Amino acid sequence: MKDRISALMDGELDERAATDALSGLRREREAAEAWRAYHLIGDAMRDTRTLSPGFSARLAQRLAAEPTVLAPARPWLAPRRWLPMAAAASAAIALVGWVAFAPQVQLTPAPVAKVQPAAEARPVAAPIPSAAGDYLLAHQAVSPRISLQSMAPYVLTVSEEGARK
Amino acid sequence: MRHGALVALLWAGLAQAQPVETLSWLRKIQDATERLSYSGIFVYQQGGRSESSRITRYAPGDIERLEVLDGEAREVVRTRDTVRCYLPGSRVVKIDRRRTDRSFPGLLPERIGALAPHYDIRMGETRRIAGYDCQAIVLTPKDELRYGHRLYADTKSGMLLRAVTFGAAGEIVEQFSFTQLSIGKVTREMVKPRHAASAWKVEDAEAAPARLAGWGLNRELPGFRKIIELRRRMGESRPVGQLVYSDGLAAVSVFIEPLQERQDSLKTGLAGMGAIHLFTREVANHVVTVVGETPAASVRRIAEAVEYRPQ
Repeated sequence: MKDRISALMDGELDERAATDALSGLRREREAAEAWRAYHLIGDAMRDTRTLSPGFSARLAQRLAAEPTVLAPARPWLAPRRWLPMAAAASAAIALVGWVAFAPQVQLTPAPVAKVQPAAEARPVAAPIPSAAGDYLLAHQAVSPRISLQSMAPYVLTVSEEGARK
Repeated sequence: MRHGALVALLWAGLAQAQPVETLSWLRKIQDATERLSYSGIFVYQQGGRSESSRITRYAPGDIERLEVLDGEAREVVRTRDTVRCYLPGSRVVKIDRRRTDRSFPGLLPERIGALAPHYDIRMGETRRIAGYDCQAIVLTPKDELRYGHRLYADTKSGMLLRAVTFGAAGEIVEQFSFTQLSIGKVTREMVKPRHAASAWKVEDAEAAPARLAGWGLNRELPGFRKIIELRRRMGESRPVGQLVYSDGLAAVSVFIEPLQERQDSLKTGLAGMGAIHLFTREVANHVVTVVGETPAASVRRIAEAVEYRPQ
């Protein structure tokens, strides 16, 4: 893949190979990182003025904060079309007998990304409710930081606040 | 040689130049938490509050015990394959299984190198903590989606004496710090739970790997990838699905449960304590609760990306 990225940068790929390489960039994070890094190094070699660190992350963040123009519901989420399949899915899962991890027959409208106000820097967080202790415990069990910090983070799950029932 | 090819060569050279010393310190800390027996008192500080706990590890049996020293004697005992949480106030024991196979998303030694894309890892100052000469290792995040960590480890044993979590402006978010620690001299007796708990109610999570068909994120958070999918039971045995995303150090869990299983009134929105944030919303007749030791914005972004696509 990296060979193809460098060939792509040099304009050595034909249209089809270039399209493939570009979709590879979209698919593979590592490829995208190599693409960014190669350009950065290229810029440095050519002594091009580079953008400030974190520019792309900040740009992406601002774009995400832009109000979204809501389009009509996408066809694949049109409730009527999915009704029979959702019903079938529920039935199949009920057979398995564990959790019905499918929406019930009445499909709710497509979850639409909520528009965030631009000023998101300091969101105000309410205290964690006491009933959330179960989630904290379940989360600690799978968090990699346990392997560095030993059991110490478990203190959150049994803290005074978490224990108040 | 054309430009791109030369650049590719240069990059390969850069990628190999890992901060060897700092990565080996992280490994040393991790080894110490597994290899050593120890007992000590540590303080957890966050905002205006602090809480003392005693932590004891008996390495030969791979058993650890954490006992809260302030207020009610809550206790967590972890063995090789289970975590038991004793809550004397409600007379409940919560049990969670630990997965010891390689798929467990622990910070395995070979994965430590994978932290480099998301954190600048450097050696920090040396400092004396609880009588031990410590070396600081600083992990500074490369974006605002994760917190930074300043880890102070005993220069001799690698034992972690203090862990400071800091935010984008360098402010301290939370801190764990030993005020007293003795390494070695731990007996099996010392890691026994103090509560017999024989008449207590047992809540077993019965966590097991599962595929939560149809559930996922419509937009991934940069650097976070899915590491495990589980199903488990919570509280009064209600079924919950769990998707876990991690950048190798920080993790975010997405809990999904049918709306009608929830007896309590649903409170949506953001909550937080120290480095932990929690965001709740409703998606397709399910309650989605996202929990992680990340800044609020990361937890919220993952929560808002959760979607159900009929298969």
